[in-house]
Amino acid sequence: MQFALPPRRSPAPPYAHSSRFPRYRRKQLKTVAVLAIAVFTILYLLPRLFSSSSPSVVAPAGTASVVIVTVIDREQLSESYIKKIVENREDYAKRHGYANFFTSTSDYADAINDAPQTWAAAPALRHAMATYPYSTYFFHLSAHALIMNPSKSLKSHLLDKARLESLMLKDLPVVPPDSIIRTFSHLKANDVDLIMTQDGEDISPGSFVLRQGDFARFFLDLWFDPLYRSYMFAKAETHGLDHIIQWHPTILARLAMVPQRILNSYSKDSPSAGADGTYQDGDFVVRFHLCESTQGRDCEDEMESYYKLWQSKAKSQ
Amino acid sequence: MSLSRSPSPRPGGGGGWSSPGLAPGSGTSTPRSGGYSPSPGTLTPNVSWATAKAKSDEVRGYPSFSTRNSGFFSRQKHRLSARLPSFRSGPRHARDYVDKDEFERRPSWRPGGVGRGPIAVLGRMMRRPRSRLLLGLFVLWLGYMCLWTTLIQVYRRSSFGGGRKFVIILGSNVEGGVMELKGAREWAIERNSIWNKQKYARNWGYELEVANMLAKKRYSHEWRENWEKADVIREAMRKYPQAEWFWWLDLNTWIMEYGTDLQSHIFNDLESHVYRDINAFNPLKIVHPLPEFWLDDLGRALEGDEDPNSLNLLLSQDCSGFNLGSFFVRRSIWTDRFLDTWWDPVMYEQMHMTWEHKEQDALEYLYQSQPWIRSSVGFLPQRSINSFPPGACGEGQDPMVHYQQNARDFVVNMAGCNYGRDCWTEVYTYREMSNRLNRSLWQRFKDGINTLIDRVRGPFVTLDGDDE
Repeated sequence: MQFALPPRRSPAPPYAHSSRFPRYRRKQLKTVAVLAIAVFTILYLLPRLFSSSSPSVVAPAGTASVVIVTVIDREQLSESYIKKIVENREDYAKRHGYANFFTSTSDYADAINDAPQTWAAAPALRHAMATYPYSTYFFHLSAHALIMNPSKSLKSHLLDKARLESLMLKDLPVVPPDSIIRTFSHLKANDVDLIMTQDGEDISPGSFVLRQGDFARFFLDLWFDPLYRSYMFAKAETHGLDHIIQWHPTILARLAMVPQRILNSYSKDSPSAGADGTYQDGDFVVRFHLCESTQGRDCEDEMESYYKLWQSKAKSQ
Repeated sequence: MSLSRSPSPRPGGGGGWSSPGLAPGSGTSTPRSGGYSPSPGTLTPNVSWATAKAKSDEVRGYPSFSTRNSGFFSRQKHRLSARLPSFRSGPRHARDYVDKDEFERRPSWRPGGVGRGPIAVLGRMMRRPRSRLLLGLFVLWLGYMCLWTTLIQVYRRSSFGGGRKFVIILGSNVEGGVMELKGAREWAIERNSIWNKQKYARNWGYELEVANMLAKKRYSHEWRENWEKADVIREAMRKYPQAEWFWWLDLNTWIMEYGTDLQSHIFNDLESHVYRDINAFNPLKIVHPLPEFWLDDLGRALEGDEDPNSLNLLLSQDCSGFNLGSFFVRRSIWTDRFLDTWWDPVMYEQMHMTWEHKEQDALEYLYQSQPWIRSSVGFLPQRSINSFPPGACGEGQDPMVHYQQNARDFVVNMAGCNYGRDCWTEVYTYREMSNRLNRSLWQRFKDGINTLIDRVRGPFVTLDGDDE
């Protein structure tokens, strides 16, 4: 079958404004399309915005940002000595709104087993973190130490990003004097979870700051590993610390080493202080390093003069 | 004689379409020409475009003039077979070259005139709706046959398909023949095992890293070789920065199901496949949860934090504890720390005589002694990634442990085949079983017919094929 002419495809002539919809209809459609896109975008974005904010843990009001952890060997120390230490830390915490966590070595005796009782620092910090789950920084301070400068807040003295950045010792042999492992030179204050000092011989576990979180769990659990405790390190947990920091770069990557006198000045009778590690007036902390185990030293006597100094300072400031 | 002309339909004559075929001695051959006997006698030399056109017009006028070879496919096949050689015939090129000065002569293989060349042929065919439909279907079918698998694989490899999130690490060339001579069987196992993982990885767009576990001095103190795993995993993490999960497989493993992807098998719904409370199956009698009062809630939790995103190590347990023949680690800070801890020399120094299963025992130890590890480890039921053959952990009756053909278990691990069993026989057996289980419908049909024929022929013909 043939037709004389092919059927016309479109009824409108080619020069006419060819459209299936009249102009006003098109405008309406345009508005509808824009609205639809906007609605879909909002629907798409809204749940994302809200879901991202929900999982962060909100600390309850009044949570102390810093917790001072002191492990006290109640079997060795006299009541008066313990009282002075507690008084010293309570005073400091009250000034800055920090919290104190006092614990006893004997609590962890079962876990420590046959190893030296000085290993108690690791489980004690774990314990403190479990007790204060919303606090950020945990300041472990040996019982043989006094906070000598009560007006210095830990935040402004050490923890502020800019302050920490200026204090961090980079490319320093982590274990004195000449470990081939050196602190990372590209480390940023934001990445720091652990702030430590060295004395003349080792990394010092007697006074350091640890930030709560995954790293802290990892660090404390590794440090407290039963095989380290049974290894008979000559200096127990101190050498354990030297070992893990030198052998495990994942710890070194979170470690800021600061000058000893920032939070770990040694009293003048203490052995093995670093090059510039002996207490000078105005320092934050004084430690009577090894006073309990060295022949001819007595912790209580040694503390007495520093305690008096602190008392006068605490009254005046 | 020109081979490039359009094949001309010849009405009448007993033969229907006559094929131009190939001139003897043209030097080229086409495999397609087999079905069509060249009949040079019927050919008109120097068929011109005019005659060809006239003849095809004739055909168009009488579409049903012949019942033979009138089907679409046979005609196209014929045309193709007749034309193909013309694109690459050697001697003719030489002649074209000689004739190039002749005015208006163009190489005859070039689609020149209106009715010449494949495009023109197609164009002519396109005029008929039936042909058009058939051709469309044909193109679709061809595309499906040739390209579909490739397209799917390309998609799976792409960032949309998610295949790049997974890397399979195969521990190969164990010791590299340093400790023991590597014989034909060892080579065969290696070749087959790599082939198996390659096939699987290609199918799903995963990356495959064949790790060379050559004995190195670095690991050779006492029995430290197996710790190389940690280094290999770290290396793979550097090499594939986009990957998230790294699947370690020992050499003596066989992926049985190529159609099972890791996403749907495990990772899309991690929570339902993984158990964190080791009490569900605890051959080592590990105390869980930890009783220590000084640990936080996470450290003493039965199920970790119950968030599947915190799972960083997935493994299975066999009858005697953790098994590292097949396990997953996720790229994460946790994994960095774990691999770092795994290597620790002080632990190793004390335990290397006790840790008979080397890094596996070390992991068991770490799991027990360090709570931060425990909360990120998940266990998969053994048969989901690590089925054992009979001979490992009993003689094959344990439905928790041993490969179940009916359940189409995913992976078989010939664990311990080096000790008193025959690795190559096991690998071969499971290879054949996997091939048989994964036959296509068409293969199954053919095998079925074969079996039937064998049965009919008589009892003296041995049956093989479907018998297990």
